[in-house]
Amino acid sequence: MSIAAPNKPRPTWAVWLGAIAVIFGVLQTAVYSNEWMTQKVISEDITAMQSTPDCPEDELLEEDISLAECELMAAKVNIMIVSRPSWFRDFQMCISLLGGIIAFASIFVGAALVEYRNWAPTGAVVTFTVLLVINTVEFAAATHAGPLLRATYLWNITLWFFIHLIMTSAALAGHHKKDK
Amino acid sequence: MTQTRGFSRRAIIMHWLITISIFFLFISSWWMLSLPFPSEDFKYRVLPFQVHKNIGITILFFLAILLYLRFKFPPGTVVISHAHPWMSRLVIFYHFLLYVIILSCCVSGYMSSSYSGWNTTLWWIIELPNWGYEDEELNIFYSEIHLWTCWALLVLVAIHVSGAIYHAFRNDGIVQRMLRL
Repeated sequence: MSIAAPNKPRPTWAVWLGAIAVIFGVLQTAVYSNEWMTQKVISEDITAMQSTPDCPEDELLEEDISLAECELMAAKVNIMIVSRPSWFRDFQMCISLLGGIIAFASIFVGAALVEYRNWAPTGAVVTFTVLLVINTVEFAAATHAGPLLRATYLWNITLWFFIHLIMTSAALAGHHKKDK
Repeated sequence: MTQTRGFSRRAIIMHWLITISIFFLFISSWWMLSLPFPSEDFKYRVLPFQVHKNIGITILFFLAILLYLRFKFPPGTVVISHAHPWMSRLVIFYHFLLYVIILSCCVSGYMSSSYSGWNTTLWWIIELPNWGYEDEELNIFYSEIHLWTCWALLVLVAIHVSGAIYHAFRNDGIVQRMLRL
């Protein structure tokens, strides 16, 4: 059985920032993985764009949707295919992969903060800053992706940006406190 | 105030793998259900649904391992000065409920898939037996159970997260038990 270090003093800021970093790290790993899958699945598909979707009655009943909603599902995919610039799909797949890896790493950094490892405050500043930079790059890309994709992406990138901004500032404050 | 003897490292890994998987399944399921129904021209749902089923079934294995480790290597009893005895009983009941709901979510999803007529190949390697035949009514029945148990799971996860944050702000040694490197 493993036993943690006996009551090593852990500053409260490190424990709560660590716990929050773990929760957001988990969430963002899931979000980036889903975005990667979205771009992987929605490829350039001319056949699908020119076809009418199948909307069998039993499927409509099973998912409790109307015929109009079923047809709009195809339109939603077409919006992505038609409105994204040529570079957008590859860019999103790369940035999602990178963001997913860093978000996953932030879970370990969060756990290290809770344990208050020596390297944890510096690690937190670096990891959260990288996430912040990724959000900034995503924001710049989304602003150049046209109005339909901006409406889809920009608000949640902004939300994540501010979450990471707050976490970076808290990590910096904790880091400076540690130095004193 | 608090003993800091935590969960075994393997149990911690299982816990966090299950956590990431559950969040991924929630987020991806909301998205994938907005994709067009599968047909000859529209195949967008095939990969996300396979991934969804694969992860759901894998969670069952992770859960089994976690429960085995939980009972084989039990964490130390935590004594918190401000806690009433009924709180401990509530926490035990909550965890029991959480495990039952995760199990129900996964099993009802698999059963719904079994009656949908779609095969499940676990991670594109192991062909799983179809416990059912194509039956729309049973498919809808199990998919309703899947839907409501998943909403219940989201509520329990929210309680879990708020509890973790509460203890993190109190710095009382509880979160350290599941957040060790």
